[in-house]
Amino acid sequence: MSVSVMVPTLLRPLTDGQKKVEAQGETVRHIIDHLDSRYPGIKARLVHGDEVHRFVNIYVNDDDIRFASGLGTAIAPGDKLTVLPAVAGG
Amino acid sequence: MSRILDDASLSWRSGPCLPAWQTLSAALHRQGECLGLQHAGSDPDGPALQLSHPDLHPLHTRLSGLPALPVELSTEFTLQAACGLMSVHGRASGRPQALGVNYLATLNAALTWQGLLAAAVGQLRGGHFSGVALQPAAGALLSIGQYLAGATAPEDPEQILPGSQDALARPPFLSAEGALFELETLDSHPWKRFWNAVGVSDVIAGKAWQRFLLRYARAVAPMPAECLDALAALPLAQIRLIAAESGVALVPVRGLVQRRADADYAASEAGPWQLQRGQSGVPSRKTTPGQLPLQGIRVLESCRRIQGPLAGHLLSLLGAEVIRLEPPGGDPLRNMPPCADGCSVRFDALNHLKDVREVDIKTAAGRAEIHELCRDADVFLHNWAPGKAAELQLDAADLHATRPSLIHAYAGGWGDAKVDAPGTDFTVQAWSGVASRIASASGTRGGTLFTALDVLGGVISAQGICAALLDRELHGHGAQLHSSLLGAADLLLDNHCGIASPTVLQGLFATADGLLALDCQSRQQHQALARLLGGEVDPARLTAQLAERNTEHWVDACLEAGIPASTAHEDLALLAADPRLAPSLSHRAYRSVQSPWSFL
Repeated sequence: MSVSVMVPTLLRPLTDGQKKVEAQGETVRHIIDHLDSRYPGIKARLVHGDEVHRFVNIYVNDDDIRFASGLGTAIAPGDKLTVLPAVAGG
Repeated sequence: MSRILDDASLSWRSGPCLPAWQTLSAALHRQGECLGLQHAGSDPDGPALQLSHPDLHPLHTRLSGLPALPVELSTEFTLQAACGLMSVHGRASGRPQALGVNYLATLNAALTWQGLLAAAVGQLRGGHFSGVALQPAAGALLSIGQYLAGATAPEDPEQILPGSQDALARPPFLSAEGALFELETLDSHPWKRFWNAVGVSDVIAGKAWQRFLLRYARAVAPMPAECLDALAALPLAQIRLIAAESGVALVPVRGLVQRRADADYAASEAGPWQLQRGQSGVPSRKTTPGQLPLQGIRVLESCRRIQGPLAGHLLSLLGAEVIRLEPPGGDPLRNMPPCADGCSVRFDALNHLKDVREVDIKTAAGRAEIHELCRDADVFLHNWAPGKAAELQLDAADLHATRPSLIHAYAGGWGDAKVDAPGTDFTVQAWSGVASRIASASGTRGGTLFTALDVLGGVISAQGICAALLDRELHGHGAQLHSSLLGAADLLLDNHCGIASPTVLQGLFATADGLLALDCQSRQQHQALARLLGGEVDPARLTAQLAERNTEHWVDACLEAGIPASTAHEDLALLAADPRLAPSLSHRAYRSVQSPWSFL
């Protein structure tokens, strides 16, 4: 199904400057693969091996996918995917 | 290890004790001792600091104020109120209020010394510097510069006001028997394991993680009730076990008495810097500084987050050329919203004066590149985890082989203390007694979520580097310099800095249009206040009387009458727009802070 994906400033050069894009898929992994087919190079910035990139957090609605099923987290109609930079510590 | 400027020929004189801000005078004195300088008495009619050496023309630092924040009537309380510290601290402590430690005294004393030492370096390198003015208000604003940037970003500015958060629903955490402790991890996996073991669901642990991560940037950390309740049902011993098994660090909130009993405390009491002089080495470049004293000095900075980059920022404000070494693809913190022109405003606030070089320090080629860059550098500054520099073959011994005259500076977390936890601002606040002291003053359970130690640690690091550069100019040695967040914390709570200035009437009061910070410190000031109020200071009527007029009226009237007073800013966006603070602020895409120094 189609969901909206919020794109952080860092990655907007890859999405033609768009802050919000649409993508298809039933899991986060599928969504990212679909995004990469439309905006080449974006997958490499989000995923490292088979895990979310260390410096990125991905949320389905308000839930961090690392605390759900990671890239296998299921997507439901109307869900919103948000990508945010992740940095710990100060 | 020795004190940095342990040179009998280098002496200093103190100025008059500031009647309204005695702790600043005490901090200046204390830091002079920690630097190893000979005190040659005081000059009651002179500037705040004077420095003498046979090879130097006399140098001095004086303090400069703003019309609404004159130096002679500035106090720790009024400056914390006016410059946004009470606002930031108030976000998670329930209301705007003072930190309860002599924070701006310590910070501004360090900046005062730093300007003077840099001027001495500039003079010895052929520049013409006779004095420097330090503006404490700008120093105070610099300490909250990142929050100011976040509040004035052009896109999605943060508006987080004092009292935004329940002061009890945040770290530190409470066990069943009432023990307070901080948790720390830089990775989500240990965090998830910990909360699962404690009985909290993944969904809740995930919500808590995001807020926990963002506490450094936003000074709030609202923890879900499920997390707090789960820990409050468990004894500390069990929580410790779960933390250890999960890989999450647990640091108890300790009092000062416990800190002073630590084996490493005695060395820390001597001062927040440890310097070891290296081999003789004369810098090959000698560019004469022009308007700023460190022009011609080259700094390589391999630092992330706040403490190290702030040190680099201060050195660049003093004129140094600072080259930031970032990993391929750049520092991830560049991407933290809110952003302006594609860059995090918080990141930009600390790094916009620097040049950037992307280097992969994990590769032999990257490390060779760093050695090559060091051939022409005066300072190498890092804040890597303990042991990393040696592992990368980039520690002092390694880089001194390439460049004997280098100042190799480490801005660390724990210093020599053996604490099995990441040395971050909040864990060090807990361990050092700073959190406990702030908690007593603020009526909270823990310290401040304002990154007080990261900021102070960065200032202390830069101050040490300036002192080390002066030592090098005088004696021609490279050096290894260590400072830490824990050293900064110990300095902040130093016994020698005395207790807070006397107070007769101190508080924040609602006015017709905001908040007034009043700090009557003497009977005369109290009497002057009584005259302003029509004859007497009646506690039952004071609040209502002050609410009748606006803040500016009361600030002007009080200052005119010789009573320390200031606007207490709650909203950083309004602070940024306050015309009375405009001389200390400047515009980038967000509101940034001017250099606190001007050189004569």
